[in-house]
Amino acid sequence: MTDYVRYVDRPGWDDVVPIEQYENGSPLAPIFYTNEYKDVANYFRGIVKTGEKSERVLELTEHIIRLNPAHYTAWQYRYETLIAIDADLEKELKLMDELAITHLKTYQVWHHRRLLMLKIRKPIPELRFIAKTFLVDAKNYHTWSYRQWLLAYFNDEDLWAGELDFVEQLLYADIRNNSAWHHRFFTVFQSGVHDGEQDRERVLKRELIYVKQSISLVPNNASAWNYLRGVLEQNSIPFSKMITFVQPYTLPMEEQTTDLVDLDNPPPSKTAHLPCALAIEFLADVYEAEGGDSMLKATELWKSLGNEHDVAHKKYWEYRIREGLRVLQT
Amino acid sequence: MSQVMNDTLLIPLHISYIQNLGKNKNDLMYHLTAHLRMNAIYWGLTAICIMGHREALNRDEMVEYVMSCWDEETGGFGAHPDHDAHILSTLSAIQILVTQDAIDRLNIDRVAKFILSLQQPSGVFAGDSFGEIDTRFSYIAVNALSLIGRLGDLDVEKTVNYIAQCRNFDGGFGCRIGAESHAGQVFVCCAALTILDRLDVIDIPALSWWLAERQLPNGGLNGRPEKLEDVCYSFWVLSSLSMLSKLHYIDSGKLISFILSAQDTEGGIADRPGDIPDVFHTHFGVAGLSLLGYPGLVDIDPVYCMPAALIEKMGLRKGWQALERRTG
Repeated sequence: MTDYVRYVDRPGWDDVVPIEQYENGSPLAPIFYTNEYKDVANYFRGIVKTGEKSERVLELTEHIIRLNPAHYTAWQYRYETLIAIDADLEKELKLMDELAITHLKTYQVWHHRRLLMLKIRKPIPELRFIAKTFLVDAKNYHTWSYRQWLLAYFNDEDLWAGELDFVEQLLYADIRNNSAWHHRFFTVFQSGVHDGEQDRERVLKRELIYVKQSISLVPNNASAWNYLRGVLEQNSIPFSKMITFVQPYTLPMEEQTTDLVDLDNPPPSKTAHLPCALAIEFLADVYEAEGGDSMLKATELWKSLGNEHDVAHKKYWEYRIREGLRVLQT
Repeated sequence: MSQVMNDTLLIPLHISYIQNLGKNKNDLMYHLTAHLRMNAIYWGLTAICIMGHREALNRDEMVEYVMSCWDEETGGFGAHPDHDAHILSTLSAIQILVTQDAIDRLNIDRVAKFILSLQQPSGVFAGDSFGEIDTRFSYIAVNALSLIGRLGDLDVEKTVNYIAQCRNFDGGFGCRIGAESHAGQVFVCCAALTILDRLDVIDIPALSWWLAERQLPNGGLNGRPEKLEDVCYSFWVLSSLSMLSKLHYIDSGKLISFILSAQDTEGGIADRPGDIPDVFHTHFGVAGLSLLGYPGLVDIDPVYCMPAALIEKMGLRKGWQALERRTG
């Protein structure tokens, strides 16, 4: 391991006046630095005081950011410097690739990329980079919201074209990836009509088949059921239209009756864990919406959830039962 | 882990944990978190207030530190004397000054101006001149303006409009339009809407169930479907349910056990049992316990995440629900 070389000993830095921590005010508690961080922070303060914007500022800020990626002032100053010296922003983006992977959960890393993209304006390679980071953390919140921003901001059909395939790959890798399900909804239903998707009836049919097949494979997946509900609500389709599909999932494996292949109503797969609490919940909502005598059926289902199939949320199911019975009595 | 950890909140241990923050020699982590310093002080202060020991930290030193972070150029507060003003640290600074009854130190006109200057044409707020936008910042702006009595300067319609567009198909809210629902973002949107009296924007039945669904069989709460439980969600999720008056959706006994089991034998609370504690999780764990009626704690206001009595005295209390505080 090489010894750390202080900035005062580095060639080309002797004109900078480093500034120590705490010129004014007293700290809540004294800070104890390692020598390296103290040194680079002192030189950063010195540079900021003179307002210098130069190549060596990039060296300095990169040093700080590597030690402390959440140092938002350093990021800001770095960006201003890049612009002031008309730096090669694509080279900067490449440099940032490495930092992004190491510090995936830092807000500043992604915001800096956003600012660079606003200048560089080449979103396609950026989509590929984002896809790479998902190999490390497929549910990273910052990354997904950055991808959504990129797509919506540039709003180019070339960008949107591959998105559905991309989401399917991620769901194939992990069918429980809630971020991917959300992104699917965003792509299909919340970002305008894309090329090839103009036939909304066909799109709707495709999405319903997709989510039902997903549920058929792995029924106990909250994200898939939320997606189903979202698609129905978005397209004003009553939940009751799904009764034929949902019913088998509310029964145990021994009570499954059909082996028929029905695209509209794929049955639970042989490895499914049944009965599925989420299906029972869905069916109960259908009965509740019907009202009248069906409300009794709903309360029966809620009881089975609270007592047996979804005990973790017993308090919630007890509340639904109480509310349901109250409605019955009025 | 000894049994007592799962049954009792070890208040004296957590008080000294907070008092000792930053006293470790050569602690690189302390200054690597300088960008959080203002937030950390607010978390520490609020936690000791809720545990009934506000005298455990020196008031005058704290107020002087806050004022040393005042950025004269912009009219806001940075996290640390070297850091530029940011909306995150500005709110924490205001919260600390209010809690310490030192609001007279604040130039209210300038701070209000700084906060309002961060609103974007779309209605959302940026964190600072760097331009990052997030519904967190919308909440922070609304909270801060409300505490300094300048909510009347805000374009409420524009602010609410942006938040409304962040409502997702599952009833939840994300960090910006199109982003996935996340419990932390749900909290900030619910709280902003509560302060602005616009809960009508929320699909309450859908969101309440989404929130209740965060509870896992081990009693802990997660932030989105299929993610791990974390003590901080005890606050984000609970306070949201509190604002929607649906706290009874949660199994409080199991959640209390979960939070208590994340305590460290040397003080502080971690994100989950067995992990290293930090002041962030200590604060939110204690806040969650207070909302759940854990005995011996002081009431917390879930909207502002500050002592409830203080918020009530300022005339800012909204119609939220807390579980009754148990005795002993």
